[in-house]
Amino acid sequence: MGIIIAVISGKGGVGKTTTTANIGLGIALNGKKCVVVDFDIGQRNLDMILGLENRVVYDMVQVMDGEVKLKQALIKSKMSDNLQFLAASQTKDKSVLDSQKILNLVTELSKEFDFVILDAPAGIETGYEHTIEFADRAIIVVNPEVSSIRDADRAIGILDSKSQKVKDGGEVMKYLIINRIDAKMVQSGEMLASEDILAILSIPLIGKIPEDKGIIDASNQGKPIILDNSSLAGKAYSRISARLCGQEVPLENVEVLKSGLMSKIKGIFK
Amino acid sequence: MKVLEVTLDDEKEFINFFDKNYVFFKHHLISIIGEVNENIHKYLQEKELIYIVNTVLPKSQKSSLKKEVQVIQEEKTIEKKEQIKEVKDNLRVIDTLVRSGQELNISGDLLLLNRVNSGASINIKGNLIVTQIVEGSIRCYGNFMMLKASPKANIIFHDVEVENIHLTNKLNRVELKNNEIIITPVLKETNWG
Repeated sequence: MGIIIAVISGKGGVGKTTTTANIGLGIALNGKKCVVVDFDIGQRNLDMILGLENRVVYDMVQVMDGEVKLKQALIKSKMSDNLQFLAASQTKDKSVLDSQKILNLVTELSKEFDFVILDAPAGIETGYEHTIEFADRAIIVVNPEVSSIRDADRAIGILDSKSQKVKDGGEVMKYLIINRIDAKMVQSGEMLASEDILAILSIPLIGKIPEDKGIIDASNQGKPIILDNSSLAGKAYSRISARLCGQEVPLENVEVLKSGLMSKIKGIFK
Repeated sequence: MKVLEVTLDDEKEFINFFDKNYVFFKHHLISIIGEVNENIHKYLQEKELIYIVNTVLPKSQKSSLKKEVQVIQEEKTIEKKEQIKEVKDNLRVIDTLVRSGQELNISGDLLLLNRVNSGASINIKGNLIVTQIVEGSIRCYGNFMMLKASPKANIIFHDVEVENIHLTNKLNRVELKNNEIIITPVLKETNWG
């Protein structure tokens, strides 16, 4: 049985979908079979970020309703043979979801794949509750700002009370990703430091991702940033994917500015 | 005030009864129906019991003597049990953090060994001790509460907002004395283990 991971955040726009795409691809590049599922019904984005926009024929809702077979709806990624994608319905809304149908779908997926990654919708409504319902683990994505932290805190609270694993007496393993860290702003004290975020949320950290302007372009082109070896964010995603696959990768401090020759020269004249 | 109603038929029986059950009724008002002779007057005065004779008291139920004793004895045992239960149930110890959106409504006391995050709320009728920082809201109606300095918290103690300026220390004791809220710093560094 594969591992079901829900990627959640509470607040929108913190980088859930980007994280899902990059980690999914990262796990696939590590040689594990991985499927990413877009649970944001009615507002699908993951297909675009993975560059599979024009290949979506059938969606998740049609699979759940038994209109098509799972194999017909799964889309193979161009970037890795190990990665497949299941699209959300763009025409329906979140009310079509139903616990039993979701259980059937994720069970079927977890039989075939090592990792099943679910991209949760923003907010804490039914769409979110259904995403976390059968998850074994959860990745919580936050930005270093108070509103994102509070929303994530709320989302974790719901995760800890409404997921099936908790109802059965277990616990959903949680990992924290701090996204869009601006080293300059952290050092000047404008941004929350990682230690403060960890103290508030008290869940283990799995990685920090620096702010990277390249992500916007990568998303627009449908090529996840993890493929870009020169990008700091891409490297951070590779490290996180390796950690999820069970490798020991030391945490890199992305909050310290790397002082190059130019900045040293500039420093002299300051 | 508790009242014991006694019908007096036989002097000996009456005195016998009070000899046996004096402990139960020493703080009761004893209402005697029947003729009270001098012996009984003396006896009751000796025992320092308060009593009235042949007075009609407003009462919903008249119960016989034996029943009353039984009920009182039962009451006593129940009270004892409740006391033990209260001691057990009254204090809750929570060591997980209270997350945003969570609401704790507690009628007893609470010892919270973790933080209260922004957006969480605690309503408590008893006493409260929080050993870590509070960023959510607290409504406490107990005799006292102990808190760390919490600049982001919204703390209300007996419907009065406790301003954060006053919570300057590592640990503060907030209590209600003669309708005044008194905040005393706990100077010793507390080791919670």
